[in-house]
Amino acid sequence: MAGSIASDSLERSYDIRHVLGTGIIAATLYYLLYYVEPVERGSLGPEEALAWLVAILLPLALIARGADVSKVRFSFGWSFAAIISYVYVPLILLLGVPGLPRAVAIAITPLMVAAFAYSLKEFITQYRAMKSKQIRMPLHRRIRSTLYKLDLLLASFLVGGLTILTVFLLIPVLLILWNAFTPPIGQPFYANFKRIFTSYEYVRLIELTPEKPWLFINEGGTRLLLIKGKNYGILLNSMINSVIVTSVATILGIIVAFVLSRYEFPGKRILRVLALIPLFVTPFVNSYAIKLIFGPTGPISRITEILFGFRTQIDGLAGVTLAQIMAFYPIVYLNAYAAFTSIDPSLEEQAENLGARGFKLFRTVTLPLALPGIAAGSIIVFIFSLEDLGAPIVFSERNLMSYAIYQNFINYTGTILPEAAALGFVMLALALVGFLAIKSYVGLRSYAMLSKGGRWKPRSRKLGPLGLAAVYLLLLPLVIFTMMPQLTVTMMALNIVPANTFKIQLGEATLRYFLALFKDPHLFMYVRNTLSYALTAVVLAVTLSIIIAYAVTRTRIRFVTGFLDALSTIPLAIPGLVVALGYYYFFSSVFRGTSLDPTSGPTVFQAWIVLILAYTIRKLPFVVRSVYAGVQQVHENLEEAAMNLGATRRQTVFGIVLPLIVAYVVSGAIVGFIYISTEVSTSITLGAIRPDQAPMTFYMMDVFLGGQLEGIQYVAAMGLLLILFQLIAIIIIIYGLKQSYAFIGA
Amino acid sequence: MTRIRLVNVTKVFGTTVAVDHVNLEIESGEFFTIIGPSGCGKSTTLRIIAGFEVPEEGQVFFNDKDVTFVKPYERGTAMVFQNYALWPHMTVYENIAYGLRLRGLPEEEIKKRVKEVLELVDLVGHENRYPIQLSGGQQQRVALARALVVEPSVLLLDEPLSNLDAKLRLEMREELKNLQRRLGITTVYVTHDQIEALSMSDRIAVMNRGRILQVGKPDELYFRPRNLFVADFLGRSNILDGTVVGPAGEGQLLVHVPSIGADLVMHAYENLRGKVKVIIRPESIVRARPEHNINLIDARVINTMFLGDKLEVRLRVGEASLIAYFPNNERLGVDETIRIHIPPDRVVALEASG
Repeated sequence: MAGSIASDSLERSYDIRHVLGTGIIAATLYYLLYYVEPVERGSLGPEEALAWLVAILLPLALIARGADVSKVRFSFGWSFAAIISYVYVPLILLLGVPGLPRAVAIAITPLMVAAFAYSLKEFITQYRAMKSKQIRMPLHRRIRSTLYKLDLLLASFLVGGLTILTVFLLIPVLLILWNAFTPPIGQPFYANFKRIFTSYEYVRLIELTPEKPWLFINEGGTRLLLIKGKNYGILLNSMINSVIVTSVATILGIIVAFVLSRYEFPGKRILRVLALIPLFVTPFVNSYAIKLIFGPTGPISRITEILFGFRTQIDGLAGVTLAQIMAFYPIVYLNAYAAFTSIDPSLEEQAENLGARGFKLFRTVTLPLALPGIAAGSIIVFIFSLEDLGAPIVFSERNLMSYAIYQNFINYTGTILPEAAALGFVMLALALVGFLAIKSYVGLRSYAMLSKGGRWKPRSRKLGPLGLAAVYLLLLPLVIFTMMPQLTVTMMALNIVPANTFKIQLGEATLRYFLALFKDPHLFMYVRNTLSYALTAVVLAVTLSIIIAYAVTRTRIRFVTGFLDALSTIPLAIPGLVVALGYYYFFSSVFRGTSLDPTSGPTVFQAWIVLILAYTIRKLPFVVRSVYAGVQQVHENLEEAAMNLGATRRQTVFGIVLPLIVAYVVSGAIVGFIYISTEVSTSITLGAIRPDQAPMTFYMMDVFLGGQLEGIQYVAAMGLLLILFQLIAIIIIIYGLKQSYAFIGA
Repeated sequence: MTRIRLVNVTKVFGTTVAVDHVNLEIESGEFFTIIGPSGCGKSTTLRIIAGFEVPEEGQVFFNDKDVTFVKPYERGTAMVFQNYALWPHMTVYENIAYGLRLRGLPEEEIKKRVKEVLELVDLVGHENRYPIQLSGGQQQRVALARALVVEPSVLLLDEPLSNLDAKLRLEMREELKNLQRRLGITTVYVTHDQIEALSMSDRIAVMNRGRILQVGKPDELYFRPRNLFVADFLGRSNILDGTVVGPAGEGQLLVHVPSIGADLVMHAYENLRGKVKVIIRPESIVRARPEHNINLIDARVINTMFLGDKLEVRLRVGEASLIAYFPNNERLGVDETIRIHIPPDRVVALEASG
């Protein structure tokens, strides 16, 4: 296809680089104009329109003259850039960002235009091919064929799965949208969104009171360097923070994964295990530990004090970014590690055989092949970062979307502002767009699995002295540093580290705080709540997962099967706060006046039911993924053989399928349990309405919000308890069930 | 026993027509084979008979009952899958007993019948093994036993021998055929292996691109293919261009073959005219003897290859190059000129476009 286009215009063959060139011309034009006459917000006027026109029409003209733009679809780099442009350009326009970011938008617009034109062309070709080959069957026969494949059990799986997800996922999310478009009286329907995209509070492109991202202050006689980051408004802060966290986590994850998957050196096995420690989720305390480590008494501060004579503290936005990078980079690491080890070594050997070496080999063969896997991990980090509440609460950073939404819940006015709904919807849109973009990117490039089947020994080689030095001096400290939060939490729980300063006091070690979780009735209530909710939700999620996974793999009904599949994975991309908002609206409108209504008051409202439902749906994708992998392992022939011998669908499912997927179901349940027991967003919002029915994460939040020192030790003990859960889970999954697939990932 | 009839059966997957208006009649107790290249629709046809697929058009009859929309578990067929589809979590005994348990037989009876069928497939003593502990051939026999033990009225075999090594395949071929003959079950066998098809079947259907091209007894198909695809797919053929000169007796034509510069008398299904394709099997070419009086040609030996059971000879006849199989005791020198004979009933003229 590409060849024929290229040969048609052999004389003057344009390609994607020329198309991008038009964008750079247009962007230069814009930036020159902007340089002459800067605007604070919005567009320059007619002069700018010219630049946009160039950026849109010129590439179209090139394409019309036969430019080969197939690279936007087939090259790993160009297609990634094209997908980024789809997200970036509209965003810049929507927010009215001027200056360099806008010039970049204009520069990559031709890429977007080319990608759009190419997809359109492809779609039309495919549509025509389909139309010309379509075989018309009488409708009654089609219906009868569909019904034939749907026996009672399969049909009820399909209908049941769809109904549950529609009621408890789709409708709550749609209710957010409904509320988001409920404007203050006398204003247009989009007023809430307009405010989010234009008001100073949300988008701060000009500074009224100039502030520095860092400053020196005098505190107790010594100088303290306080790094807080810069406030660009709630919306931009969230976006900038998530982009930085995702980028840094991705680069770190790739480096660590590459070294650990491709090189041999003494101590590698230990390093591999240590690199997993930051994965242990301990809501709030984890961030608090990072705050301590980067606080005035932390190790960094001590180093700068000795070297430069001032102490350092990282707080605010900068602290949130740092905490999130440290907590989330292992997600990329795990995905990248899996991606690197699943590359068929012969592909790299072939490249080496042809003369590619070192970084060239990595850039041209290894990275493109591993990128889909890495991208899948990165998008999870992006979403986690966007929705994270732990770090903002601990660092008291209110200028983030997650905190802004959360604040609506703790106003205790009984109602949630429509503006919060709009904000929730924007957050959902950001996460969803990123998720779908990456998903389509990964879908296009699933060639990493080119040669399936045969197991190979992943390539690895010994490191030279220089490489060894780099590993021990850079990688080892990095890994040890990123596991420090979990280490600190553990020590804090045992009182080896005190609650408010970073120092080690081995003599003070005690199990008192940890044991109090079980002895103190008030604390034990939270532990008991978490355990009982998590277990119940896991049972529900597993049941639902089996139903959905089976229905999705064994039916092929147009639209319906795909829709169910999408519904079951989409909660992965739905920020927890959005679920919390949706459930709030859903239960306060549909169940108005019942004990499920969050506005019915702290004595009537039964938070536990709502929480269990929210947990089940929110963490469903993690369970579904495991069960789905199991069902896919069961060759359809195994079921057909049973039905052929006279077994009904029910007998086949219970007698053949379930026994074969037990291991997958169990590991799905364990992973689900971990995610549910550490859930934050709905626990601290809906749970806050009924503190006596709230889980551990609510208590953890409450302590940090209230700022009681004594509580921090108990919170750390809860963190330790959660770490122990996760440790046991990993051991069961890897050693008991022999399933070493990545814990997190899309 | 069951007679199977497919009427106008069509199956569509997306935009590909997997099975295209297929009509078949399989007699009761017959060993019937569907053969064709991969993707020709043979397995889909089998799956339609088993009830795993519903045709978009047409009907399936067992005896005279329309079973098109009868569920697989109500059809009474038993299928042996290409990958055997043995349940890995059950022992050999449990695998075989599964169908009987579903039928609610008493455990005594089940034990007896499993034992009988294990004897039949020569697997006594393996009852408590798991499939993973068995060799490929043993697994294949368990799969067969599992199908046979329920005494099905129809046995469906989907390339059951393709995963076995050459020697085992040879053995199983014979065993399977004997077993089927003894039990007299209507059997539909799907394969792409011509030797399997020719050696085991009562009748064969050749399929390509979803269509049935020819149905017939093995020798009929082999020596009298009805179209080029069948001729080419089953065994090797010399295919030459020819022009019909005129009729030459009952069902025979005189055809001028320009590349060898001679007129040959040959079999034809129809009264063809004009351009035809001439199909000559390598073993149909023999050395001329005094009693032969037609279809005699002079040929030059280009080279010979000793294949053990036969001698493969490349011959130059006029401008044409022919492959011939001669007995393995034949002694021929390169460049030697010999006189060959092609029996008229072993040459077939086919429509050129077919």
